[in-house]
Amino acid sequence: MIEKLTYCETENTYPYRNLAEEAYLTFHVEKGECILFLWQNRQTVVIGKNQNCWKECRVSQLEEGGGYLVRRLSGGGAVFHDLGNLNFTFCVREEDYDVSRQMDVILEAVRLLGIEAEKTGRNDITADGRKFSGNAFYRSGGCCYHHGTLLVDVDQRKMAEYLQVSKEKLESKGVNSVRSRTVNLKELNPLITVDALKDALRKAFGMVYSLPVQPLAPERMDSAEIGRLQQKFESHSWKYGRPIPFQHGMAQRFAWGDVQLQFQVNCGRVTDVNVFSDGMEQDFLSALPELWKDCPYDAASLCCAMDQYRGENGGDQAFSQTLSQTFSQTLSQTLSQMKEDIASLLRANL
Amino acid sequence: MMNPEALQYSKSHEWVKFEEDGTASIGLTDYAQNALGDLVFVNLPEIGDAVEAGEAFGDVESVKAVSDVFSPVSGIVDEINEELLDAPETMNSEPYEAWLIRVKEITEKEELMDAKAYEAFCESQEE
Repeated sequence: MIEKLTYCETENTYPYRNLAEEAYLTFHVEKGECILFLWQNRQTVVIGKNQNCWKECRVSQLEEGGGYLVRRLSGGGAVFHDLGNLNFTFCVREEDYDVSRQMDVILEAVRLLGIEAEKTGRNDITADGRKFSGNAFYRSGGCCYHHGTLLVDVDQRKMAEYLQVSKEKLESKGVNSVRSRTVNLKELNPLITVDALKDALRKAFGMVYSLPVQPLAPERMDSAEIGRLQQKFESHSWKYGRPIPFQHGMAQRFAWGDVQLQFQVNCGRVTDVNVFSDGMEQDFLSALPELWKDCPYDAASLCCAMDQYRGENGGDQAFSQTLSQTFSQTLSQTLSQMKEDIASLLRANL
Repeated sequence: MMNPEALQYSKSHEWVKFEEDGTASIGLTDYAQNALGDLVFVNLPEIGDAVEAGEAFGDVESVKAVSDVFSPVSGIVDEINEELLDAPETMNSEPYEAWLIRVKEITEKEELMDAKAYEAFCESQEE
């Protein structure tokens, strides 16, 4: 039975730190305690534990725009976070885990702000049929968390830009996202702010459990252990390297010809590539599969590997001198144009 | 569903079948699959990985949550059930057929229950 309510919020918006703190609190919640942790991430796409990030998110675009890709411990689909979004996490032991009671805290909090909401399906909270909160769940060795988003004033244009990926040419195992019609709470009540929602959540937390709410004692946070957890969430192997094999095809017509790339990827690395093209410079095109093999599957690494190509005779002075200067210039211009175009194809698709 | 007599059971709701060749198959019990709901994904270790009694060796994702799966024995992963990667729902429909991993070179095992004791344990969990 829950006998103690603990409240914790953080100013930090670096996503990997927040996930580390969330995991830490989950593994250290006491018997009979329920912790409510409130946190925000700056510009982040968070995917479910078993999702293919390239299928769910425009990773290159997100990262080039200064955003972060994060893989969480819980299941389910991809969501976008910015500072217009507030995240909540309930950490409890298995015997005290009660999704509907935890959901009641959220419903009560928005009710305090004048919004009638309801739980829809298993994981969503909606108002007028539009979703403002997605929820997901994790349990391990008697410890559980239930967390979710709360859209207060999220940039929906960016949300659509990063999440709405049409990747019919990506075939992968893993869990797919379900698209929902979303609404910002601010649209429903213009007076709602993230701070007002935090206050309402703290109040509703105490009301639903009929217990006083105590702040988390700062000395309970072990920064060394949180640092270790943070490293895990930041690591390439956790974010991209899950053993979820997939194949990804992409094609485009350029001035110099058609190109079609067919990647096989596992654990975040290229296992095999087929390159089909009617372009000139077949030496370059046929060198690509070898250059890309075992390469980490991200646009920057693939471009870097592609740049390794200098041409069979690239370093051969004697050979260059036998060609007329104009011809060799044209050749190298075509090659750099091809590299540039293929790079843009990779960035648009990864 | 009846829990088969030939299997042994852990408190974290895994079943173990000790085979004659000294290996052990591990799966999720009917109680576990029922509590988890429809399973949509499974993460398994690789062949050759070490597993430890009482430690997580993989996880399953259902519509309700991602949940770690614990090994009731210590040893080395000898085989993984790759069919589950394409058909995780088999763990719901045939929990006692859908083994997750086979472990060899077993050095240690958790305290396990027989079918009868496990049923009593599940009933006590319901309260």
